[in-house]
Amino acid sequence: MTPARTTVISLIGLAVLVVAPLVLLAILPQNQAQFWTSNILGRGLVFGLIALSLTFLATYGGFISLAQMTVAGVAGYTVAVLTQGAVPTIVGGLPYALTIPAGLFASVLAGLLIGAISVKTRDIYLLMITLALAMGVFRFVETNIAWFNGYEGIRNVVGPDIFGLSFRSTYVFYYSVVASCAVLYFGILYLVRSPFGLVLQGIRDNPRRVSALGYNVGQHRIAAFGVAGFIAGCGGVLATIYNIGISPGSIGLGASVNILIISVIGGLGHPIGAFVGSIIFTVFDTFAATIYDRERFNTLIGLVFLIIVLVSPDGVVGLKGRLMALLKPKQAKEAKSP
Amino acid sequence: MSAVPALRLSHVCRQFGALRAVHDVTFDVMPGERRAVLGPNGAGKTTLFNTICGDFPPTGGSITLFGDDITTLKPHHRTRRGIGRTYQTSLLFNGLTVLDNLYLAVRGVRPNRFSFRAPKATDPDMIAARTMADRMRIAHMLATQVDQLSHGQRRQLEVGMALASGPKVLMLDEPAAGLSPGDRPELLKLLKDLPRDLTLVLIEHDMDVALPAADIVTVMKDGEVVVEATPDKIESDPVVQAIYLGGGH
Ligand SMILES: Nc1ncnc2c1ncn2[C@@H]1O[C@H](COP(=O)(O)OP(=O)(O)O)[C@@H](O)[C@H]1O
Ligand SMILES: [Mg+2]
Repeated sequence: MTPARTTVISLIGLAVLVVAPLVLLAILPQNQAQFWTSNILGRGLVFGLIALSLTFLATYGGFISLAQMTVAGVAGYTVAVLTQGAVPTIVGGLPYALTIPAGLFASVLAGLLIGAISVKTRDIYLLMITLALAMGVFRFVETNIAWFNGYEGIRNVVGPDIFGLSFRSTYVFYYSVVASCAVLYFGILYLVRSPFGLVLQGIRDNPRRVSALGYNVGQHRIAAFGVAGFIAGCGGVLATIYNIGISPGSIGLGASVNILIISVIGGLGHPIGAFVGSIIFTVFDTFAATIYDRERFNTLIGLVFLIIVLVSPDGVVGLKGRLMALLKPKQAKEAKSP
Repeated sequence: MSAVPALRLSHVCRQFGALRAVHDVTFDVMPGERRAVLGPNGAGKTTLFNTICGDFPPTGGSITLFGDDITTLKPHHRTRRGIGRTYQTSLLFNGLTVLDNLYLAVRGVRPNRFSFRAPKATDPDMIAARTMADRMRIAHMLATQVDQLSHGQRRQLEVGMALASGPKVLMLDEPAAGLSPGDRPELLKLLKDLPRDLTLVLIEHDMDVALPAADIVTVMKDGEVVVEATPDKIESDPVVQAIYLGGGH
């Protein structure tokens, strides 16, 4: 895709997200329209943001990290620990205007740290080391009562008021999420045109040449994990507010793997795949459980995952290209035959 | 010799396990000098380049660049000090365009190389990248993704990327390797047009290419220097004749 086409498609996607709640209100009863807006689209986009941090690393750096949910959790826990009104009060006393920036700062630090620890590893080894880090943090949080209230987690993180409107309102929440997604997504499209982004893509294609050109490969890798940490942190803050709190389950093995599944379903070849994958995942997650029981959902999403990986390794976003490639030689043949 | 050599190798060795890929290589390259390195496959020519650029630092001996010891520096620090090289098999950024490849090559030696700000088309480094594409005769391919280039164009880009940083010492590893007879003249002309004051180390299999381009020739075999002579003496040298005519036995 040319950059211009990507921008056009992305803007169309954004426009769809902006008008979707209105369309839903027009065709569904109000409570169902709100359910779709916040529980399907809103929640999907929030986890899409966390997946976006992974897609960014994978698409442009060739790094697949299983610790992005953990980084999101670092932001979420920071907010929960510091914010006034959270239950139980661990530090508390601070307004969202301070705790949200603190959460994002913490997630950037966590990203940089994970990037630094894993800086020499690639491929399956990177996957393993990030998984180990994620599980280490998960176990620590789960068993630490003093700071994280153990397996119960921290409740009542209701979110700030924006211009006097409560974050708990479906539409305030939804449009805050859409705005965050738009800023971060277009931010990435900009960033990959910068020297930092180009070097990152150079590292993906050929790290040896990158250092032969004079760049410090490790420094750029660590910075990429810091950027991804910021994106995941935004998702983590929004997810914590959406869930009105955070508990260790949200950064456990299942949650960490779900981010990878979302990214793969959507496609690791383009950042937009994170949102496509996440909304598909959320639809399955919401409705499969009502049709079947919980265990069946895992079977179902596993099946979807398998089909995507087999049919289109670049995910749903890559599907169109694959279909075109299938159709093209046929058309050419048909055109030739008399 | 009073001037400081651009590059000085003293007893440089590189082992891979028990294999002595490069053993006890010593020579100077004076500023502006052009040195050709010849030798059969597996002689250690590419490995010698790798010790100089730092991809595989020497396991013995020392290397200085304009008098500064660079033996243990990381590759990116050596590049910033003025070493540029090409690779025998092109190492390009296949997912990026020709222009982005060259732009990265220009930026790598700039002090502000780490930056989150996307360049404008009028950015001096962008202009330098375009100029280099022009010089390498690939200016019509600027927006083409590199994995779409022909082999000949890839070799031209490979040389362009090494030149783009304005190196003080340029090392070319078989720049014409694998080129079809049709593509060869284009690349050879590029090499001929290199500024005469550029310090150059050239690995080249083909004597007809190497000899006219060089001031001095080093012949390697089994990791060691076996002959060092001026081009006019090389072809008649008995050792060289034995290597080149005697086959690989
Ligand atoms: N990275 C490496 N690991 C192990 N052996 C290597 C490596 N690079 C080169 N060699 C060995 O070193 C010897 C010299 O190779 P090379 O420098 O590529 O020769 P030339 O460029 O003269 O053809 C060969 O035997 C080769 O197999
Ligand atoms: Mg070689």
